[in-house]
Amino acid sequence: MEPIIKAENIAKTYRSGWRGQKSKEVLKGVDLEVHEGEIFGILGPNGAGKTTLLSILSTLLLPDRGKVEILGIDALRNGSKLRERINISSGNANFLWSLTVKENLQFYGMLYGLLGKDREERVNAVISHLGLEEHKDVLFDRVSTGMKQRLSLAKCLLNEPEVLFLDEPTVGLDPSAAAKIREEILSIQRARKMTVLLTTHNMKEAQFLCHRIAFLKEGEILTMGTAEDLKRMIRIGDVIRIEFLGRIPEDDLLHADGVINTSITDRQCEIVVDEAERRLGSLVCLLSRDGAEIQKVTVRQTDLEDVFLEFAKNVDTDMGLRL
Amino acid sequence: MSSLSLQRTLIRIWAFVFKNWLITKRNIFSLFEIAFWPVVGFFSIGLLTTFLELDVNMSGFILTGIISMSVIQVCQIDVAYVLLFDLWSKALKHTFIAPIHPFHLVSGSWLIGVMRSFVVFLLLSIFSALVFRFDFLQPGFVGLGLFLLGLFLMSALIGVTVCILVLLFGYNAEVAAWSIVSFLYLLCGIYYPVSILPSPLPEIARAIPLTYLLEYFRSFYGFPSTSGNALAWAYGLIAVYVVVEAFLFKIVLRRAKRTGILLRLSE
Repeated sequence: MEPIIKAENIAKTYRSGWRGQKSKEVLKGVDLEVHEGEIFGILGPNGAGKTTLLSILSTLLLPDRGKVEILGIDALRNGSKLRERINISSGNANFLWSLTVKENLQFYGMLYGLLGKDREERVNAVISHLGLEEHKDVLFDRVSTGMKQRLSLAKCLLNEPEVLFLDEPTVGLDPSAAAKIREEILSIQRARKMTVLLTTHNMKEAQFLCHRIAFLKEGEILTMGTAEDLKRMIRIGDVIRIEFLGRIPEDDLLHADGVINTSITDRQCEIVVDEAERRLGSLVCLLSRDGAEIQKVTVRQTDLEDVFLEFAKNVDTDMGLRL
Repeated sequence: MSSLSLQRTLIRIWAFVFKNWLITKRNIFSLFEIAFWPVVGFFSIGLLTTFLELDVNMSGFILTGIISMSVIQVCQIDVAYVLLFDLWSKALKHTFIAPIHPFHLVSGSWLIGVMRSFVVFLLLSIFSALVFRFDFLQPGFVGLGLFLLGLFLMSALIGVTVCILVLLFGYNAEVAAWSIVSFLYLLCGIYYPVSILPSPLPEIARAIPLTYLLEYFRSFYGFPSTSGNALAWAYGLIAVYVVVEAFLFKIVLRRAKRTGILLRLSE
């Protein structure tokens, strides 16, 4: 299947000072492929180059080198043609202060060439979809941050884009508002089957929203895959802790399916497995078979944060995990 | 161009009329731009001509200058506002991610500038007729129309220059929206003929269309043009600058995307 977004060897260095003497290399040859209907997350700490990458893909920034093809269009040479079919929403939503929510949407609707009745219907539809009815006649600088984010999402749906770029869509929101925005993103993506590329430094957000994730650090993609792939790749699976009485078969345990590592003390063993849910039953059977009496079982599932921390640590100590 | 494509082009141009109009009508400052500063400036200079006991034509020479500058100032600021409003709202990137061309941006904001500055012109020309007995219609509707159109186009050139500077230098350039016009006061013969300027200022003045537009209009009031066909020179120069600025705008926009200034101005 041909990717919808294809970036090859994207590099960007920002220069400042007299004749660009000061420079900061932000992207160091990034390759990326995103497929149709996918929600793809770019995860990384502040300063990793996430927004720069997203800005290049969305035609707002030109790279120093590399190729970008989106929807089969060369984004660097034919940006104006592409812009009809994409849109962007930023976490720090800024729109024209002295226009109301609805006027802002009408203005951007006009920029996308929406005509008369069609524009009015589209604007009303996105207002209704994102729950902005009560605020539609309020000036932009008087609405809450959550409403600004919603307006930002509403604006980027006006042209019914095939590819949507979301830059830190929940940054600065309280947990409940952030959760609502995430639900909105999911529901919009499912309803319209659009391809979404989002940046975030929130692991849980990436895990909740994204089909695939790329870890970006210091301008390089460390790895990419599904959340499960990444956990497997780093071999820091879920941890099953079992308290027991009696003997347990240490060798059998270590070679059981899905077991990554074990650590056994007097009455307690910690078993690191690829997927706790899948392996728990068979492990309990294995321990019981040899007569061990199981007293307590606890499971701690690895989340993306563990994976990310492990990756960052391994790269920092140059353990060759760069892919 | 198909009918749908034409309609989309027109609606994109109209978007900027819509935006500037809404912001203007909510801003008390804009009332001052149209009705206060131009009127105060006009009467200050007009009364000075009365005090100096200048004849009607000589008064007209000066009043033509002050009215032209008021028209240009109001019209060019609207073109400059098209990016300045985005700059102040930090919304620049939303404009440039939309499928628009600089032509939509400039022509939409210019249209509302033309409307606002035409109001200024009407106001000041009525005052000049009633208070200082200066008849703006003496050159006829065609002469006046060509002169006004030239002023409006000149304003677009200044406004686009401000936009180019904003894309080059960001916030540091916003002062240009109010200061470029001041150079025209000095150079283009607003209150005096350019011939009295010390060298090389007259040569510089000859590169500015406004100099010729004023010469053309004043020729109807007994001040013969020193440049042959002043109107042809004015429009010829305007055409050259339109092409140059269109090219520069494209280059500067590309540079803003390369340096990242477009994004920095949206943060």
